[in-house]
Amino acid sequence: MEFKKVLVPVVGTEADEEAMRLACRLAKKDKGKIWSVFVVAIKRALPLDAEIESEIKKAEEILDRVESIATEEDYETETDILQAREVGPAIVDEAVERGVDLILMGIAYKQRFGQFSLGNVVPYVLKNSPCPVILYQQ
Amino acid sequence: MPDSLPLKPGDRVFRPLRIKHFRLKRVLGVPGLFSAGYGDVGSSIYYALGIVAIVALGATPIALGVAGLIYIFNALSYAEGGAMIPEAGGSASFARHGINDTVGFIAGWALMLSYIATMAISAYTIPPYLSYFWPVLNEASIGTLVAMGIIAFLMVINVLGVRESTGLNILFIGLDIATQVSIVVLGIVLILAVNPGVLAQNMFGQGNWPATPNLIMGIAIAALCFTGVETVSQLAEETRRPAERIPHAYVLMIIAVLVLFAGISIVALSAMTPQVLGDPINGWARDPVAGIAANLPSETLRDIFAPLVAVLAASILLTATNAGLLGISRLTFYLSSHQQLPKALGKIHHQFRTPHVAIILFCLIAIIMLGPGFTNPNFFADLGKLYVFGSLLCFTLAHAAILSLRIKKPKLPRPFKLRWNIRIKEKELPLTVILGLLTNAGIWIVVVVTQPFSRWAGLGWMAGGLVIYIIFRKFRRKPTEEWEIKPEKEK
Repeated sequence: MEFKKVLVPVVGTEADEEAMRLACRLAKKDKGKIWSVFVVAIKRALPLDAEIESEIKKAEEILDRVESIATEEDYETETDILQAREVGPAIVDEAVERGVDLILMGIAYKQRFGQFSLGNVVPYVLKNSPCPVILYQQ
Repeated sequence: MPDSLPLKPGDRVFRPLRIKHFRLKRVLGVPGLFSAGYGDVGSSIYYALGIVAIVALGATPIALGVAGLIYIFNALSYAEGGAMIPEAGGSASFARHGINDTVGFIAGWALMLSYIATMAISAYTIPPYLSYFWPVLNEASIGTLVAMGIIAFLMVINVLGVRESTGLNILFIGLDIATQVSIVVLGIVLILAVNPGVLAQNMFGQGNWPATPNLIMGIAIAALCFTGVETVSQLAEETRRPAERIPHAYVLMIIAVLVLFAGISIVALSAMTPQVLGDPINGWARDPVAGIAANLPSETLRDIFAPLVAVLAASILLTATNAGLLGISRLTFYLSSHQQLPKALGKIHHQFRTPHVAIILFCLIAIIMLGPGFTNPNFFADLGKLYVFGSLLCFTLAHAAILSLRIKKPKLPRPFKLRWNIRIKEKELPLTVILGLLTNAGIWIVVVVTQPFSRWAGLGWMAGGLVIYIIFRKFRRKPTEEWEIKPEKEK
């Protein structure tokens, strides 16, 4: 399989860093391109273009960290902040728009009501992704 | 400065932030826009029919028909405006771009009044529909208390920012349209077709046709069915390819509104007399669609439709109350972002990321508005007229702004450009916009002149808003571009 275009959605967990390292190694082989995105979810009580400074600052920090990980791996990544109503559809839409070959997501171990849970975003992406998806769990 | 070079004392590193480069993910299509707009229009039939019948009696279908015609003018203007300026402000945005900041604020403030009134009416009419299951909810005081509780509940969940299920909304709206169409078809087949004379008798019979001032007032109040026009426009910035999809959504809404309002009003007057339809205490003014279901000629159909209408009406009205709250909070944020309202009103909660000040403030105003409901069950008609005051004022300003943009900025890209233009001094002025401006302004004047409650409450609201606006604009911190020193004119 060739991974010429890889999308790495990040949320700021440690798993993101490992996912980015893995993305760099996979993309290097095929001289592929990596996009890393952070999706700011905007509640319906606000316009979609509302600038929530704290959220954008947090996104900036996370994307800076991801860029530095790529630099450590001697590779480059293009980063972007997206604002959307729902995170899952925004990731899938971005993958379709960019025509990526792979979505690589880092996931943290989470429990909900005492049970292991993937949350809402990962299942949505798995169900609707136009390309292969790799989940990396630490 | 390249990262590879070591920093020396005194060096400043400038790294452009992505902050201005975030991209908006627009995902709404025609079905999403239509369901959002229809959520409002479809809910308004559950109360507008009764309120119109109180004054227009047998002429209710005529009043709704004329209002439907004006609805077409409004929807067409909003289609041009929404496709041209896909922003969240709706009429406030058109007026700001087309005329100036102050008129933009007036349109936005009037729109806020109509949102609050929509919230109050929608919440107030939920208990009468649910009284099918719990008859105690038909009592004015208990019903009002429950309506206040509904708004308080929505206030809490919106401050917390609980995610609403879009899928569930679309399901309810689909069921709602199916139920309304079924009621219209069954009513025509089982009631009207069996006894065609009953409709003419209930419309034109002795004591059923209203006096001319009441007919005009009925047309004015029928503007209640205009809800939904603004909702679609507010979602313009979330729409993928708004230039095509917003006009399509409006065309669909026009068709749905005309067919369903005509059908339901005709069936309602075939099933009961206008006096029964317009009686808020012993009749069906507060829950007119439940009245149609209760008057279906077969017991089996009544057993099916009465509870179905109760559940669907309550759910759609709850959605409409919430839509009003979401609309007003977005609008407040929009106005405060454009220096038309204090920033404090659009402040975002640090934890929940919601505009909590706006949500709490406007919910409290809506709750206070419901106060008279404890003593006067007829007051919801006054709420309807207050909605009409606010919405007609902002529609009038929206039409004026569209005309102004045609004059001031004729070359602005208009992906959806209205036809049937009148040419004056090389400017193309659309006939439908001129008609929309005249009819909305005319009806607004009728409401102001003939309705003391709307006049004083509405004008009081507008005056209060203008005082806040003037004080805020006088003392606000000016944006950087206003500091620039203008070059002196050559003498």
